[in-house]
Amino acid sequence: MAHATSIQYEPVAEIGGGAYGTVYKARDTESGQFVALKSVRVQTDQNGLPTSTVREVALLRRLEQFDHPNVVRLMDVCATQRSDQETKVTLVFEHVDQDLKTYLERAPAPGLSPDRIKDLMRQLLCGLAFLHSNRVMHRDLKPENILVTSQGQVKLADFGLARIYSCHMALTPVVVTLWYRPPEVLLQSSYATPVDIWSTGCIFAEMFRRKPLFCGESEVDQLGKIFEVIGLPPEDEWPTDVTLSRKNFPPLIPRPIADFVSEINEQGAQLLLNMLTFDPLKRISALNALEHPYFRDEETLTQTKS
Amino acid sequence: MSNVQLSSSAQERLVARRTFPLHRRTSVCRNLFGPVDHDELSREMKAKMREISERDQQRWNFNFEANTPLDGDYEWEEVPVDKSPAFYQDSVQNGRTRVPATPVKQCPSSDSVLPETPSMDVLERLVVPESSSTPCQVEVNQENRTDKLNSGKPSHRQVPCVTRKRTATTDNNTHITDFFVKRKRAADRKSNDMSACHLSKSPIPVEQTPRKRIR
Repeated sequence: MAHATSIQYEPVAEIGGGAYGTVYKARDTESGQFVALKSVRVQTDQNGLPTSTVREVALLRRLEQFDHPNVVRLMDVCATQRSDQETKVTLVFEHVDQDLKTYLERAPAPGLSPDRIKDLMRQLLCGLAFLHSNRVMHRDLKPENILVTSQGQVKLADFGLARIYSCHMALTPVVVTLWYRPPEVLLQSSYATPVDIWSTGCIFAEMFRRKPLFCGESEVDQLGKIFEVIGLPPEDEWPTDVTLSRKNFPPLIPRPIADFVSEINEQGAQLLLNMLTFDPLKRISALNALEHPYFRDEETLTQTKS
Repeated sequence: MSNVQLSSSAQERLVARRTFPLHRRTSVCRNLFGPVDHDELSREMKAKMREISERDQQRWNFNFEANTPLDGDYEWEEVPVDKSPAFYQDSVQNGRTRVPATPVKQCPSSDSVLPETPSMDVLERLVVPESSSTPCQVEVNQENRTDKLNSGKPSHRQVPCVTRKRTATTDNNTHITDFFVKRKRAADRKSNDMSACHLSKSPIPVEQTPRKRIR
């Protein structure tokens, strides 16, 4: 391989091999661009990396070629074998300073303007429509893995990694938030891309509320909180392949969404309900959501509430 | 990781083994390319891996093995976790302990939702006619696809799954994959019919079709 390099560069902070609680971040002194490392240790056997991991990485790289504006850039993937049982996979991502969680926290007093929310939502759905049309489900969409650049550009992150983590998840107790999980996942029924739309709905509401919509503490509790808002779904919509019976929940009727998301306009509320639809088959798709009247008024200047 | 060539051969072997657990020792086809010099192969692999690692290290002026920055175009710094979006945090945490940024609960069932289905799902998305191993695998796993794709638990095999999956697929545009699946199904059916009508003509079990295509 080639030669010692010429250019000298500024020193680096000290490192602790796999130091806990820090992130490696770098600036490309040529382009000024920031990158950050994210590494995952993957269990291996005599066949090397699990094929699922290899494919997942291949998929991420393939998606990368589309250069979608609303998806975080994955610049490289580097693998190093640590032992016979373990390989470290380091993903080199573009670095974005904040995620939607901090973005919402930092938003000055009255919160985000309706236009800002609409813009964020449009970008989020664009990114999602892109992933879905490539048959990628995010599965764990939440404000923490939606990055927002200083220019207000939305970039989805952390999709497709579930599989890479999964080796660990199987071995160690996993911690996951339930707040953005759709009923079909909470019920452990079958699921597909509509899961992300549910999460998007929760996030949509959160943009107005600046606090999460459903804060459950267990699967059942989460479902209960959901039904308090959308009502208990009719018997025929309850999945048949689940252990948790509908009878476990009180017969709640839907409450007006404006009770929970006060600033939202009528079309926004309508779109929100289309996203927070119990039956995944009836839930709106990312592409259709982009066509929703809520987004239509953009060119003609924002109507309603301001 | 640019070791696509490396992994594909390994995958092929894997596929073959998974598909034909019973035949794998006896099958003539296994030896078509003669004996494998495992030492040589392993040497080559290691050399290739080293080459790739060096390239990575040079490109990013970062020693991924030791997890230490080196001199180069990238100015590395170590940032405290709270100064960076949670998404990057996982990075140095070995993936073992993902610090919850929101109140959370320990949820063993959730991993069954996610990892349970690893390969099939990805397969679905990666099916393109460019690699020799992928199409075969798809065909191999084809039967498992519907329930594997979208159900958290393998036992939840039921009609609604299928419907759901279909809808999810049709409003997206993964035509290549669809094409593959259909083709395989058609082929499957055909060979079934054939073996029914002309037993002598095609006694080969359906599962053997992919094998031919591996080559």
